[in-house]
Amino acid sequence: MRDFVIFGDSVCDMTTEMRKEYAIEYVAMNFSIDDVETVASLDWSIDEAKNHYNQMRAGKRVFTTQVPKTVYYDRFKEVLDQGKDVLYIACSSALSASINTARMVAEELLQAYPEASVCCVDSLISSFGQAYLLMQASIKRSQGWSVKETASFIEENRLKVNQCGTVESMEYLRRAGRVKASKAFFGNLFGVKPIIISDTKGQNYAYKKVKGTSNARVAIAEHIVEAADGVYDQLLISHADCEEDAKLLRDEILKRAPFKDVVFGYIGPIVGASVGPGTVIAFCFGKQVTIEGNE
Amino acid sequence: MKQRINGVELHHALTAGYSNLKKNMASVNDLNVFPVPDGDTGTNMVHTFGGGLESVDGNILHAGDYMKQLSYAILLSARGNSGVIFSQFFHGLARSFDGKESIAFDDWTDGFRCATEDAYRSILSPTEGTILTVIRETAEFLPNQQYDTFQEGMQAILEQMKASLAKTPDLLAVLKEAGVVDSGGAGLVHFFSGVHAFFCGVSIDEAEGLEQTGSTKAHVHHFGPDSDMEYGYCTEFILQLMHAKTDIAAFSRQEFIAPLQEMGDSIVVVVNDTIVKVHIHTFTPEKVLAYARQFGEFVTLKIENMSVQHSETREAVTKEKVKYAIVAVASGKGIVDYFYGIGATVVIDGGQTNNPSVEDFMDAFSRYDAEHIIVLPNNSNIIFTANQAAEMYDETDVRVIPTKSIVEGYSALSMMNLWCDTVEELIDDMSSGLSTVTTAYVTTATRNTTMNGVEVVQGNYIGLVDKEIVGCDTDRVQLAGQVIQKVMQEQEKEVIIAFYGANVSVGEAEAFCEQLREKYPLADVGFIEGKQEIYDYIISLE
Repeated sequence: MRDFVIFGDSVCDMTTEMRKEYAIEYVAMNFSIDDVETVASLDWSIDEAKNHYNQMRAGKRVFTTQVPKTVYYDRFKEVLDQGKDVLYIACSSALSASINTARMVAEELLQAYPEASVCCVDSLISSFGQAYLLMQASIKRSQGWSVKETASFIEENRLKVNQCGTVESMEYLRRAGRVKASKAFFGNLFGVKPIIISDTKGQNYAYKKVKGTSNARVAIAEHIVEAADGVYDQLLISHADCEEDAKLLRDEILKRAPFKDVVFGYIGPIVGASVGPGTVIAFCFGKQVTIEGNE
Repeated sequence: MKQRINGVELHHALTAGYSNLKKNMASVNDLNVFPVPDGDTGTNMVHTFGGGLESVDGNILHAGDYMKQLSYAILLSARGNSGVIFSQFFHGLARSFDGKESIAFDDWTDGFRCATEDAYRSILSPTEGTILTVIRETAEFLPNQQYDTFQEGMQAILEQMKASLAKTPDLLAVLKEAGVVDSGGAGLVHFFSGVHAFFCGVSIDEAEGLEQTGSTKAHVHHFGPDSDMEYGYCTEFILQLMHAKTDIAAFSRQEFIAPLQEMGDSIVVVVNDTIVKVHIHTFTPEKVLAYARQFGEFVTLKIENMSVQHSETREAVTKEKVKYAIVAVASGKGIVDYFYGIGATVVIDGGQTNNPSVEDFMDAFSRYDAEHIIVLPNNSNIIFTANQAAEMYDETDVRVIPTKSIVEGYSALSMMNLWCDTVEELIDDMSSGLSTVTTAYVTTATRNTTMNGVEVVQGNYIGLVDKEIVGCDTDRVQLAGQVIQKVMQEQEKEVIIAFYGANVSVGEAEAFCEQLREKYPLADVGFIEGKQEIYDYIISLE
C-alpha cells in the first residue's frame, strides 16, 4: 500500500511542534498589510504574532489570498514524484475557496500520475478544528489506513468537530464576510458578545448573543460540554492574542468537564484577519453539528 | 320628576368638563412628585379627552350611542398612564350607558361602577392614592345618594372627589414626601368641576395657548420633484353656512356628505347649528373646497400633503412583509437613529414629556405587514398606553415587553435575534437582560426638596438610580461618576453605556468614559450620542 502525505493549510493554526509530532505538511496562503504581501507561515513566533495583532488593533487592515495554484501544484507533485499519495484536508470551503483550486490541480496531476491518489477533503471547519481532523488523519495513517480510507473517515466525522467561541468585535467578521448573521446583529452594540459556532455548511454562525464577557465564557463552556457528550478526550482552544481570556475559558470548561488533554495556541494570521484580535475559540469532538445558519 | 339628559346635552356637559380640565392643565402638570420634568399628567389627560372630542359627532341624540362613539375615540387618543385610566373611565361609562336613549343622574351610579371596573382592569398592579382611588370611592359613595337634578348630583360627586383627592397623600407615601396630591385625581376633579359648572349654567373660559397635538410643520425637503403623490391631502375646515348661499334650515348633513364620498375618504362631518366641521382625505382638495363653498364661507381651513407626513416617518410607504416588527419609543435624535441602527423597525418619537397616544402606536403597528409586533415602551408612563394599543389592534399579534427606560429598551434591542423561530423565543432573548439592568440618570433639578435624605437644590444636577434620587451636585460628570460608583458597589456590572444628552459635548462624554475605563478596567464601557433633552446622561449598567 502506498504511503501518503497529509497536508493542511495556513488556516489550521498548527504549531511547528504539533506538525512535527503528527508529520503534517501545509500549503500556505498569503496575507498583506499596507500592500506588503507575506506568506502566512505557521512557524511564526509569539513576538511576531503579538506584533501582527497589535497592528490590527492599531487599525491596519489585513487582506488574505487563497493558496496559489502553483503552490498546490509544486507541493503535491513533489509528493507524487516520491511515489506517495496526497491527502489534503482543507479549511472550510465556506471560508476560503482554496479547495476548489486544489481539486483542479489534483485532476491535472492525476492525468500524469494515473496510479496515484490525491484526495481533497473539505474540513468544513477552521483553526484548531481543522487541526483536530489533521491529527486524527495522522493517527489513522499510523494505524495503516490507506489514503482513501482516511479521507472517507475524515469526511464522515468532520461535522462532529464542534466549535464555539466569541470575538471582541464583530467588525472583522463582518468586513471579511465571514459570518452569517443579520445586519441588526452587527449593530454597534456595546457589551454584547456573539456566540459563534461553525454550522453544517462550515460557516461561522453567530447563533446567539449574550451580555458581557463572563456570560459569554459560560455560554461557550456550556455549549462545548454539551457538544462533547460525555467523552472528554481533547479540548482545543485557539486565541487571537488574548491568552488570559483563553485560560479563563479553559478553566470555565474544565470546571464542568474533565477533558484529559488541552491544546492551547495562537490563531494564525489568516483566521486572525477575519476574526480580529481578542477572539477565543474552543473546539472538541462530539455530537454531530446540526445547527444550520440562516439569515 | 327626575331630570334626564340626551346625547347632545351629555356632549355639552362633558365638553364643559374638558374646557375646565384644559384651563387647569398647567396646575395639574405642576403636581409633580419628582423634581424632574416628568410625564405631564395634565397635558396627557387633555390630549386624551380632547382627541376624542375632536372626532365625535356632538349631535347624536341617543345618549348611549353618543357615549359609545366618544369612548372609542378617547381610547384611541389615550396617552400616558393617567390618560389610559381616564380613557377606561369613559369606556366604563359607555358600557353602562349602552342602549340608554337618555340618562338620569341615577344612571351615574352604575356608570361609576363600570368605570371603576374598567379603570382598575386596565392597570396591572393598581396603586391606591391615585385617580383610581378617586374613581372608586366616588363609585362606592353613589349608591346611597338620591338626587333629582344633575346640578345637585354633580355637586355631590364633586365634593366626594375632592375629599378622596385630599386623602391621596395618606395612601401614597411619595405624594406625601413631595407635598402634593395625585395629579391624575386632580385632573378628574377639574373635569367634574367643569361638568358641574355646566349644570349650574356657568360657562367656562378656556385657557389660551394650548399646544397642538401634532406638529403641522412640513419638512418640504422630504417631498421632492420626483416624489410619488400617494396619499393625497388631509383637508379640514370649518364652514359657516350662509343664508345668502343656502337654505340653512333645510341643510342636511346626509345630503351634504353624499357628494364628498366621491371626492375622498376618512370623511368626518360634524354639524353644529350653522357651523359645519369637515375632515376628508382627498386627492382633489380644490373640488372639495369649491363644493363646500356653495353652502357658505370658511372660518378656518387646513390642507396638508399626507405624502409629506409619510415621508417624514422614514419608513417604506408600501407595507413590507416582515416576520417580526419591533416598535420602540424613544426621544432624542441620536437615540432614535441608534435604535434604528440596531434593529428597531419603527421608532415612535416620544418619552418623558411627550407620551405617545394609543393612536400613535396603532399607526406605527400598521406600517408593516408583520406576523408579530413587539413593543418596547421604554418609559413606565407609556407601558399602559402600549398595552391598550396592543389590545385594540386586531390586524396581528402584538406583544408588549414592559421596558421602563431607554436603557431597558437598549438591553432588549441588543439581545434581539430576529431569526428566532418563535415569538416566544424572541421575547425570551429580548427580556433576558432586563432583570439585571440598572438605569441611572443625571438631570437638572426643577425645584428644591429633600428626598431620600438627599438635599435637592433647584438648578443643580441630580443623580437618580432607577427612580430613586441618590445625589445632587453642581458638577454633572462628578455626579455621574458617583452614581455609577454607588451602583457598582452594590453589584459589579460588566457593561457601562452612557447615552449623553443634547447639552453634553462629545469631549466631555469622551473624557468621562475614559475615566470610567480607568476606574473599571474589567467593564466594557461605551458611549452613545443620544442627543436627548432633559437628561444629560442616561446610563446603562448591566
